[in-house]
Amino acid sequence: MSGRGGAILSRVYLGAVFLFVFAPIMASFVFSFNSDRFPSIPLGSFTLHWYQKAFSDPDVWDAFRTSLKVAGSVALLSTAIGFCTAYTDFRFGFRFKPAYLALALLPPTIPLVIMGLAMLAWLSNVGLSGTVTAVIISHTVLATPFAMAVIRLRLSQMDPALEAAAWNLGASEWGAMRHVILPFCGPAIISALCLTAAVSFDEFAVAWFVSGLNKTVPVMILEILQGNVDPQINAIGTVVFLTSMTLVVLAQVMVMTRSRENPAKEKTE
Amino acid sequence: MSEPLVVFDGVVKRYGSITAVKRMDLTIDKGEFVALMGPSGCGKTTTLRMLAGLEATSEGEVRIAGRRMNDVAAHERDTPMVWQSLALFPFLNVRENVEFGLRMRGVEAAERRRRAVEWLERLGMEGFEDRRVDQLSGGQRQRVALARSLVTEPEMLLLDEPLAALDAHLVIRMQGVLTRLQRELGITFVYVTHSQSEAFAMADRVVIMGDGEIAQIGPPREVYRAPANRFVAEFVGRNNIFEGEITDPGTDPAGEFATMAGPVGRLAIPASAAAAGAAVSIAVAADRVRVTQTEPEAVNRIACRLISEEFVGASVILYLEAPDGSEIKAQLGEAELETLDLTPGASLWVSWQPGAAHLLPGGTG
Amino acid sequence: MPRRRLIYAMTWRLPIIIWQAAFFLVPLGFMVVMTFWAVKNYRMEPDFVLQNWDKMFSKGYFWDAYWLTLGRATLAAVIASLVAFPASYALAFKVSPAARRWAIFFLIIPFFTSYLVRAYAWQVILAEQGVINAGLSYLGLGPFTMLNSGIGAMVGYLTLTLPLVVILQTFSLASVDRNLIEAAWNLGCSRFRTIFRVIIPSAKVGLILGAVFCFILSFGDFVSPYYLGGSKPPTLSILIIDTTKSGQQWPRAAVVAVTMIATLMVVAFTAVSAAYRKPKQ
Repeated sequence: MSGRGGAILSRVYLGAVFLFVFAPIMASFVFSFNSDRFPSIPLGSFTLHWYQKAFSDPDVWDAFRTSLKVAGSVALLSTAIGFCTAYTDFRFGFRFKPAYLALALLPPTIPLVIMGLAMLAWLSNVGLSGTVTAVIISHTVLATPFAMAVIRLRLSQMDPALEAAAWNLGASEWGAMRHVILPFCGPAIISALCLTAAVSFDEFAVAWFVSGLNKTVPVMILEILQGNVDPQINAIGTVVFLTSMTLVVLAQVMVMTRSRENPAKEKTE
Repeated sequence: MSEPLVVFDGVVKRYGSITAVKRMDLTIDKGEFVALMGPSGCGKTTTLRMLAGLEATSEGEVRIAGRRMNDVAAHERDTPMVWQSLALFPFLNVRENVEFGLRMRGVEAAERRRRAVEWLERLGMEGFEDRRVDQLSGGQRQRVALARSLVTEPEMLLLDEPLAALDAHLVIRMQGVLTRLQRELGITFVYVTHSQSEAFAMADRVVIMGDGEIAQIGPPREVYRAPANRFVAEFVGRNNIFEGEITDPGTDPAGEFATMAGPVGRLAIPASAAAAGAAVSIAVAADRVRVTQTEPEAVNRIACRLISEEFVGASVILYLEAPDGSEIKAQLGEAELETLDLTPGASLWVSWQPGAAHLLPGGTG
Repeated sequence: MPRRRLIYAMTWRLPIIIWQAAFFLVPLGFMVVMTFWAVKNYRMEPDFVLQNWDKMFSKGYFWDAYWLTLGRATLAAVIASLVAFPASYALAFKVSPAARRWAIFFLIIPFFTSYLVRAYAWQVILAEQGVINAGLSYLGLGPFTMLNSGIGAMVGYLTLTLPLVVILQTFSLASVDRNLIEAAWNLGCSRFRTIFRVIIPSAKVGLILGAVFCFILSFGDFVSPYYLGGSKPPTLSILIIDTTKSGQQWPRAAVVAVTMIATLMVVAFTAVSAAYRKPKQ
């Protein structure tokens, strides 16, 4: 792939890949305003009918409320636990640390269907199946590794002497945590909250297994899909996309470094 | 003499099977500027950290103002440190950085502000209070770091290679700032560095460390001119080291000089208690070595070949090869160079006064 | 460690251990245990029998599903890696670092948005009366059946995994030592050969990791085979769902799950070992 032709070919290919990746999202967006039940070319007329239909259904609102409750709780819980784990990895060395980290990072490698089954069986056993709590617990397990990764990345950007400097200036370990580590990690914590909320908001498989009658939005979508083709899904889906995308964009923006926060080579005085 | 401010009493530091500090017995007096100097890994930073409470001692005691510090946590000590990376808090502005220590002590906001501003002014940083740290230059950051450590008016200041990341001209300037500050405040400075020039320029006493042990302690001039052992002789200054055996313990009528024989031939050296046949080594400072085009009238003279020259500003270092293949360094001023043929490979004579050599205790060390 | 420091350290160290033990290890462990429970009259009873394993392993449809899932996941891993590579190569070598950061910024987004809704959108697009076929009909090309077949499933797998594979490949390609590449060019190696002789071996770890993640995700996915692939023959994931939801045969579903996990561990281990093995000279 050399020369001008090669460069153009590369860009066209990249464009095609991006098109493939974003096609379903754009399609869903376009079809949600499309009057045809079976979207095709040429497109039908512009309508807000599907949105009206979807959002006049109380079940839809219930599902969104449940999803919000779950996502909010999951964000807080998993970010908190993820922070603890990230800080432990950053600050302490101890025996079996590799096993500790493996334990923390394992959940994403287990297929969701299996997690769903395992959580269903276990939570039924302890009488939690079919509750919102069950969904919150399961999602926290899935989302915590993401929170941990984001915060750990931020901590690796920190001058290791910063914490020691705080102690040196009179802050106890807890004081250093409060006055130095947490403020430094602030953007990453917000990012983790957004990311884990997005993970929970979109998770359908495990939620389907354990939520019972307390449906989250993805579970509701799954059930609609079991039936016939229903363009309401596009309307609901578009709202879901916009929510998740906003959260993910926010999460990324938070961790983009404005400027290097380690001392750069000095300029002239 | 009042009680020393800092005492290291038999301090040892081990990390698993590695001993970073073998045995440290050291006292530091109030108002002293002490430099801990040595190559990487010699234990100087570990020693400083033990003083600050950032590392625990494996054995022995650290005492500050007579008080045993072994169980005192880092944040309970009054040993502010200036870090090599400066460790300024990026999420706080300049004034908040300087105030940090006062804030941790519960000083009121108005009082904190006043003292922080006062110190910033003192270090020439007035007007910078609301700036963010990443907007400052290296030298400016240094001053903020200093202000932050000094605002609590401690008895001593610890410095861990604070000038290591600066450009050469800034280093000179900051050395002046530090020396002036230390004299004005009269507090103790404990300064860790691997740079000879920094240590010698600023310190009242220099502690040379090697391989976890103290090799020599003394004022800069003494360490420079009278290295206590081979390690110090090789690490400090530019010394030529000659080894050999005493052939004649007393050569001249006044009994001042002895003779040694080694790979470069026979040399006249200062007399000592060593008997004939004893192993001996001497250090001859490069700036005490004379270089001439023709054979000089000196007792210690060696015919050499010029290998290279190194320009270091006011003087030049010549590297010469002795007949036995060993290297001899000579430091000459511009004027002395004019009479010499400096083409590589040229034949030159090296000589020095017998009294210019310094006997290294312990033979070949 | 002095006691106050121990309390401090443990406050941060313990939460994940407690949480994972209670809500990750125990459920999975329970699931393994459950495979040995007896099922009488549609109720589970604690026991230690091999009945569930026998029943499941003797069923033809289980093994059909097993090989189908394995085959599809492997195919997905290969196709995704191949499709992603030219894009990753372009991002690593042919665009500016800023453009690369933006590309990754945008690729991360679909990864965290609803896979389910995206799959549904493909269902609509690929349908007989869908957008693609409608467009093709203008060119006089007959309607293609893309849904309810392997092609539909593959489109689904790519939708799920392509962003991740591109990101992983881009990172590992971008970290190949440029000096190595230039040295190869200096020695007369053509661009094309350099890719195969120098770049791919150097980026081996990241490329294999991308393929492994793709395999894991595709192996366990049920949305693509179900909604885009026609759900018959079923994959292992669909089997679990059917067995659980309609049959309430949790122990049997657990057998399928444990088999899946075992397979994944073997595949992941083999691939990672291959990734880190020193190349033969």
